[in-house]
Amino acid sequence: MKTLEGKVAVVTGGSSGIGLATAQRFVEEGAHVVITGRREKELKEAASLIKRNVTTVVGDVSRLDDLDRLYAVVKEKHGHIDILFANAGAGTIAPLAVATEAHFDQTFDVNVKGVFFTVQKALPLFKDGGSIILTSSVSNVLGVPGFSAYAASKAAVRNFARAWTLELKDRKIRVNAMSPGPIDTPALATTTGLTAEQAQQAAAQFTTQIPMGRRGMPEEIAAAVAFLASDQSSYVTGVDLAVDGGMAQV
Amino acid sequence: MTRLNGKTAVITGGATGIGLAAAKRFIEEGAFVFIFGRRQEALDAAVADLGPNTRAVKGSVSDEADLDRLYAAVKAERGTLDIVFANAGVGSQLKLGEITAKHIDETFDVNVKGTIFTVQKALPLMGNGGSIILTGSSAGTTGAPAFTAYSASKAAVRNLARTWAEDLKGTGIRVNVLTPGAVATELAATALGEEGLKAYGAMTALQRMGDPAELGAAAAFLASDDSSFMTASEVAVDGGLAQL
Repeated sequence: MKTLEGKVAVVTGGSSGIGLATAQRFVEEGAHVVITGRREKELKEAASLIKRNVTTVVGDVSRLDDLDRLYAVVKEKHGHIDILFANAGAGTIAPLAVATEAHFDQTFDVNVKGVFFTVQKALPLFKDGGSIILTSSVSNVLGVPGFSAYAASKAAVRNFARAWTLELKDRKIRVNAMSPGPIDTPALATTTGLTAEQAQQAAAQFTTQIPMGRRGMPEEIAAAVAFLASDQSSYVTGVDLAVDGGMAQV
Repeated sequence: MTRLNGKTAVITGGATGIGLAAAKRFIEEGAFVFIFGRRQEALDAAVADLGPNTRAVKGSVSDEADLDRLYAAVKAERGTLDIVFANAGVGSQLKLGEITAKHIDETFDVNVKGTIFTVQKALPLMGNGGSIILTGSSAGTTGAPAFTAYSASKAAVRNLARTWAEDLKGTGIRVNVLTPGAVATELAATALGEEGLKAYGAMTALQRMGDPAELGAAAAFLASDDSSFMTASEVAVDGGLAQL
């Protein structure tokens, strides 16, 4: 049984890591996906990995014009949306004492403002009874030195799920946050500003803090997101689903 | 979907309500299920409903000898065990001021002690890839008038998963909590009455009670490898009741 047969899903941050793995899982489950990301080359490569039932739109979730273009494509191609995975996010290291205004703004522009308008602008196309999943982070309840802006922005995302559950209840649209723990994705080494050695150290340190004793794989997050996207979670709304190997749970 | 093909599961409180719905779902997904409950009549009816991939064992989770018989039956027929859904629970109302020692003992014997020994005695049959699911309650994180014992016992259950995730480190066995809210089960109807149940459902963001099958679906997610990076977690299946 495929759980997302014929559904239309939009995935932001869809060109790598969790977003790409989730887009792949959605398509395996029978969905058509529209993926968006900032880098055209990576997005094209992602589409060729997904192989079928995939459309790409290059864009940045912190730019409202880009979101308008994204949804114009979705409207033209599919006419509606059943599932939205607002997953695009950014996090770079910057200790409180030296963090710049640009660092703060970039983090909140993508993670908070970006998610806010990704969802707002999807609503006119959203089918009643659909499912919205927001990527938060275990750091929404943990202190993470050097990543305070990131962690705070992810706490904001978790709370969006609460208010939007209520705002969208009459349309029977479910809204849930999903909080991954440390995942084995390229992002840690390529986008956080950590050196290769620091990234390796961080990964090793995470492992000691995770009851399961390892980092997660993007496919494992994708499986949990597929649960939240499908009717298997029809009575689940407003939650923060931690998929973290137990990291923030114990 | 055949995510649970060839797996063996035990479901306590498996003859009715959430347990029965989970048994149905597990079997649909390919599992062989032992249901455990106190009432022979209910067990017989459930087995008739569930078909050939089911066995019933009569007993109470608060009685260690009953649990020993359950796991002896599992071992004899299947050899090993993949999934334990420790779901048996009781709950009745007594306001602060009226609480008796007997009321506290009855509630904690089943919900806390019963859950602990259900899991402890299952471990010798379990191994890498195993999944343990505990039934919590939205009452475990909210105030619920006159549910002192029940609410406290379910808060305890949520915390068992935390400790056990640490105790089970290195075994490849995961443990998570499934947290129902307003679910249209016999237990809830007995505790609240039909009208009370409707009012309870109306309090949720989804403005309705949950169907036991919706809890069964979430239990199947936690039982399957789709939740392979989850341990010590809680999945609230409560229509948003305790989330906002």
